[in-house]
Amino acid sequence: MAIVAKTSRFGKYGRPTLAWVVGLLFFFPIFWMVLTSFKTDADAVKPEHLIFFKPTFDNYINMTENYDYWRFAKNSVITAVMATVFTLFVGIPCAYAMAFNPSRATKDVLMWMLSTKMLPAAAVLYPMTFITKTAGLFDTHFLIILVLSLINMPIVIWMLFTYFKEIPKDIIEAGQMDGANTWGEIKEILIPLAWGGIASTALLCFIFCWNEAYWTVRLTTTDAATLSKLIEGNRAPEGLFFGRLSAVSAAAVGPIVVLGWFCQKQLVQGLTFGAVK
Amino acid sequence: MSDRKLPRLLQTPAVLLLLVWMLIPLGMTLYFSFIRYVLNSLRRPEWTTPSFSNWRGFGNYEFVLNSKDFLFAIQNSLFIVCSILFLTVILGVLIAVLINKTFPGQGIVRVLLISPFFVMPAVNAVLWINMILDPVLGLQGIAVGGINELIDGLKDAPLVGWFFGMWPELQPISFRATQTSAYAVIIMVTWQWTPFAVLIFMTSLQSEDQQQKEAAVLDGANTWSQFRFLTLPHLARPIAIVVMIQAIFHLSLYAEIEIVSRGNGNKNLPYLIGEFANNNIGAASATGIFAVILANIVAIFLLRMIGKTLME
Repeated sequence: MAIVAKTSRFGKYGRPTLAWVVGLLFFFPIFWMVLTSFKTDADAVKPEHLIFFKPTFDNYINMTENYDYWRFAKNSVITAVMATVFTLFVGIPCAYAMAFNPSRATKDVLMWMLSTKMLPAAAVLYPMTFITKTAGLFDTHFLIILVLSLINMPIVIWMLFTYFKEIPKDIIEAGQMDGANTWGEIKEILIPLAWGGIASTALLCFIFCWNEAYWTVRLTTTDAATLSKLIEGNRAPEGLFFGRLSAVSAAAVGPIVVLGWFCQKQLVQGLTFGAVK
Repeated sequence: MSDRKLPRLLQTPAVLLLLVWMLIPLGMTLYFSFIRYVLNSLRRPEWTTPSFSNWRGFGNYEFVLNSKDFLFAIQNSLFIVCSILFLTVILGVLIAVLINKTFPGQGIVRVLLISPFFVMPAVNAVLWINMILDPVLGLQGIAVGGINELIDGLKDAPLVGWFFGMWPELQPISFRATQTSAYAVIIMVTWQWTPFAVLIFMTSLQSEDQQQKEAAVLDGANTWSQFRFLTLPHLARPIAIVVMIQAIFHLSLYAEIEIVSRGNGNKNLPYLIGEFANNNIGAASATGIFAVILANIVAIFLLRMIGKTLME
């Protein structure tokens, strides 16, 4: 390292400066959204109030009145949490079997699962609407939870599989010798050992569920509508209500962005499917 | 229970669920694509219920192939996906190399950089098209207005006035317009997914062989050839992964296209299906089948490319 560390002036001043500029540039749109959310709708579009303005909390206080925010937020929390739980409930045993008792078909099954994610959702929108309306499931929490689970299941199983693969087989086999049954093995040995991997998989699944914006918008009207639906349905034309739109947008992405900050490292490791070390 | 049966049993729920999720809608789409099926028709009310007696054979497919938007939508789908892939990979590599060495505040810069990745697509689109790219009220409009005013002021200045007098008035770009809406989508998705590429490349760079690098420095290799012959080959696998995951997500872009211009001048295949589905379910389904075929071609290509590395 000694040789590499003896760097030029660029290494000492230029690189950090440039890095900070890039970081701030990427963050700027989010910062701008939050800043705008403290302006009144009128101030938000006036160039003279671009940076200097009288901050107001009205947009956040009136969020319930303007957008019925809490109802959508509640639906987002319910569906994302339940979908994550259900996906893990189905995904953990599946990934466990694939990692510790692989067969010749395992690779193909995994590839096939991933390929279901490439099916264009729009191609099956009409049949889906038709089926769910006939079955009386349209616009229910149950349906959204199921759909979110199915969308994310391939990625979740992939991620879990890559984590489980890292666990030495001997440990699991030792458990089998002790006479633990499969559920016991999963509960007593696998889950404690792979806890970090499972947690980051769950977080990523939760984030994808929260941000999903195709099915949640098209398979709901009111009862199960999530924050994605709220934002898509209320995009104001041509600069009306920038202030309140910013506030509700910030409130919609805030929890997830903060959550993401805390677990960025784990998320990335999972998303590389174990192929990047 | 034997050792062989149990693993299969544990996989069954997941496999079964995904199979149903794939096959039932796909089967129905296939069926609808071969019949005449519309939601509203005053002249032919019998077409409004799906039935084998409305069999149309490949008529829907022919109709779709002959519609003026179809080829454009395919081209545009590929244009958008490839542009985003190209930009995110290039920017991702550059930024990852830039912030890979320790410097004051590295942790904070990482947090700032990753943030866009967690923003939901609907908010991303609303934020960019309104508050940033809008030609009048967004930052773009305000910035262009400000520059024009500044130049106007300088035109009357002594000595340099003649120089600024030759400058034209800048025009803000309307990103909702037919020609430019695709660029708006590319900008906002690139903004959202570059952080993802950066983080994956960074993870990979941290495992780069430092001794090899030192040896290269001793041999007199300059920064460029270090990057070209050591770093870039090291990044081949992460680049493949970034390309695959992004292709999966971006082939089905929808919210951004809807919000930017409602598909005006900027349709991709999913959006075209959505437009057909407003009335002509048969045509929408046929387009859907084309989209499935396109997705499969891309999938085979991608999985061939990196399937092996994933299983190692």
